[in-house]
Amino acid sequence: MRLCSFILVLLGCVPRGIAGDPTTQINSQLSAAWQERKVQPAERCDDRTFVRRVYLDLAGRIPTREESRTFLADPRDDRRQTLVERLLGSEDHAQHFADLFDVILMGRADEGTYQRRARHGWRAFLETAFRENRPWDEVARQILIARPSDKEHDGAVWFLYEREDNYQAIAEAVAPAFFGIRIECAQCHDHMMADEIEQAHYWGLVAFFNRGKNEDTPNGPRVAESAVGGFSEFANLEGSSTPNFLTFLDAGTVAEERPAKEVKRSDEDRLYVSAEVPGDPREPIFSRRQKFVTQVLDGHPLLARAMVNRVWAILMARGIVHPHDEIDSMHPPSHPDLLDWLSDDFAASGFDVRRLVRSIVLSDAYQLSARRPTQATPPDSFAWYLERPLTAEQLARSIQLVLRGSFQNDASVVEDLRQQILEVLPDTVEVPIGDALFFSNHANLDAFIRASDGDDQLIAGVLACETADERAERLIETAFGRSPTESETSAITAYLDQRSERPEEAVAQIVWSLITSAEFRFNH
Amino acid sequence: MAAGAASVASFNGLFSIPALAEETKRRGKKCILLWLCGAPSQFDTWDPKPGTATGGPFGAIATNLPGIQISSLMPRCATLMDKLAVIRSMSTKPNEHFQGIDALTRGDQPRPPFTRPILGSVVAQQLGQLDSPVPQFVLLDPCPEGNEFKAFKAGNWAGWLGAEYGPVRAGGDYGIPNIQQLDTISDGDHADREALRKFFSKKYENDYRSTAAASHNAAFDRVQGLMSCAPLFDLDSLPEADRERYGRGAFAQHALQARHLIENGSTFVMVANGMPWDNHVYQHEMHQMLVPELDNVMFQLVNDLDQRGMLDDTLVIAMGEFGRTPWLNDARGRDHYPTAWSLAMAGAGIRGGVVHGATDALGVEVIEGKVDNRNLFATIFQTLGIDPHEEYELPGLPTFHRVEDAAEPIREVLA
Repeated sequence: MRLCSFILVLLGCVPRGIAGDPTTQINSQLSAAWQERKVQPAERCDDRTFVRRVYLDLAGRIPTREESRTFLADPRDDRRQTLVERLLGSEDHAQHFADLFDVILMGRADEGTYQRRARHGWRAFLETAFRENRPWDEVARQILIARPSDKEHDGAVWFLYEREDNYQAIAEAVAPAFFGIRIECAQCHDHMMADEIEQAHYWGLVAFFNRGKNEDTPNGPRVAESAVGGFSEFANLEGSSTPNFLTFLDAGTVAEERPAKEVKRSDEDRLYVSAEVPGDPREPIFSRRQKFVTQVLDGHPLLARAMVNRVWAILMARGIVHPHDEIDSMHPPSHPDLLDWLSDDFAASGFDVRRLVRSIVLSDAYQLSARRPTQATPPDSFAWYLERPLTAEQLARSIQLVLRGSFQNDASVVEDLRQQILEVLPDTVEVPIGDALFFSNHANLDAFIRASDGDDQLIAGVLACETADERAERLIETAFGRSPTESETSAITAYLDQRSERPEEAVAQIVWSLITSAEFRFNH
Repeated sequence: MAAGAASVASFNGLFSIPALAEETKRRGKKCILLWLCGAPSQFDTWDPKPGTATGGPFGAIATNLPGIQISSLMPRCATLMDKLAVIRSMSTKPNEHFQGIDALTRGDQPRPPFTRPILGSVVAQQLGQLDSPVPQFVLLDPCPEGNEFKAFKAGNWAGWLGAEYGPVRAGGDYGIPNIQQLDTISDGDHADREALRKFFSKKYENDYRSTAAASHNAAFDRVQGLMSCAPLFDLDSLPEADRERYGRGAFAQHALQARHLIENGSTFVMVANGMPWDNHVYQHEMHQMLVPELDNVMFQLVNDLDQRGMLDDTLVIAMGEFGRTPWLNDARGRDHYPTAWSLAMAGAGIRGGVVHGATDALGVEVIEGKVDNRNLFATIFQTLGIDPHEEYELPGLPTFHRVEDAAEPIREVLA
């Protein structure tokens, strides 16, 4: 492979060609590191913990009481594997990963933008990618070339289209999305800490995309590409200027005829061919976007590595390189050989995302208790399951499930929460007081709880219970997936007794206190 | 406006119990940090180099201290120098924003996996009244963006002190969303429901020794108190004349709000405004806008505190995370320069009329009185009456000192 040079030099030799199952690799490499670092891992989590955890991580929601009970009653030794397999094939999984990758690739947005993303097929494109487990390298190519071959792939243009002619924003999004690195600080100078990220790479990446132009065609939004222009020079801090050659990282420079500074090349028809799809914009014979995909992206080791590290971060709450999108020489991986191995395996498997996800959630480390063994145990040992806050969508679906027993992905509570809780992969957890105020005083959330008054819903179900113990059991089991403690039963009973003249309101307030407590707010 | 005034009245009613009012006004020391994120140029503020090729276009003016000049962009502060201590000999290590912000807001560089608490958290913990409804540590920042500062803001501020010492974040014309209680719930139920929430939530926090849950619970712990002092965060409730005098920019308005919060019981207010000072490009043009605002804000704030008899107890610091290069780059910007830079302080036992340290003719090196972030933090702690060298004693924590290596405070600026 032509491109491995800097990574290989940085990280030492890669154990290539080792056959084996990725879960086995994860297990053996993590446990070897525990022994070496004298870390005592947490114990294996119980089934109750596992079922809530894996539903949240794979299906983007808590299990219903029935789903939980079905799993817990399963006597088979391989019930965890069976459940994982079922969830990976579920529609909820496609929805959850589409939620995550929408934020990761596009960022949070106002509701109007969410509607446009849905209307123009971006959302469907993401859902299909995960529903059909499309190879990640293919998804990346489709997004970056942005020339959909058929209606079904329409949404592929949206990554570029939404960023319009803000080419720097495009470059700053492409680098973390597909290469796992951040290049913002290379705009004005070579990266001060990670010197493999040069200023020329920043402006080179911008140049690969700076001939794009949004065009609204009968086929929908398209990103046309010009055959001319996009030549400029950038100045470094010492004041010398350099042309913005088509170059990125270690991929060399793509050869391109560069007109003399004073010459403005005319935009002639002979520089183009017509699009394969009738109605789409003509395509330049020399397409910078195409060159980027074929000469930089294809086969670049960071394409696999960035996705492996990101999926690891999604499932393990921090990357093997942390932060997950700064895979540079300043941020060494905690388990370099493992990251190498998984990246190779991911590429060799044809960029099989589902295989990667499966192999991580079936690992021993994923199935550890969330109780930190000691305060001194470092998080990058992955010696316990690192708790993580539910994303807005996970939380909104789970709140609906608790209150109503079912959920809708377009419910108003989803919209309200995604405007409040923005992060999906936070580097650290510090809960802003704004979130607590939101849960305490937001009118729509309050209204949603009050409107959950159907006969077959939780509030009515609790009120129909005959004994105080049953009421507490129903509430705690629905929200937390476990039985109440004695003191919890007493607290619930006392709260209801004090408000016996307005029982619906009292139950609604208890439900509020459950869904806003830490046990519900975090996956653990 | 009428609604604002009415709500202030009801807020003041909170202190109608004499004991509480007395307690709130207890004269503990307090601090306002004007956080000039991005890093201002020392040449266009406190350490001008007039008549040099790289000193920039603005020149220097005389001040009310004989023989001392500052940038001509700061005419108001030139009349205030007898109350200020200027340090011209800061010399620090980190050369990038994130690392610089870390070192200059926490006092030291990181020692992972332990996170040193930020200055405001330490001061709030040491001097604050945590049972007060008024938040003790407030970050006013209207700008959610700010490059590396944005990333820094998303991090762990209170460090090992625990989330309850983290800042309440506010700022902007939009006030604090969701601060009003809904009509659908009574005061009693609102409080009882929260007590029940806390009961459920604490179980998880304790069972899992969870710092994330601690942070979650700490946020909810503040809800009732914050709701009770919502009017404090209402910019519209501040007198129009004061708002005019400070200036209409967000930074100026928040400096005024900081004064208001300190007057009403906050202990530490950090006023930030994104990361506007990082002028790699067209630095003169940018500083020509930014410095006069800073000049006026500093002048109004220090004078107001003085006139209210609060300057003896309130420390004001104006600084960024490093300085700017003595030379200009090709884009007429100045780049990061931690080697030799300046800042200013006033109040709370800081000696006014002092200029500490000096740089050479072009401002390339410190030639006198070199100090760093540790000396600065020792000075801040000392003047606030907090032992600078106390050892942090927390379970599971190796030996840490509030300021490491027994670094000395800058004696020359201490009264």
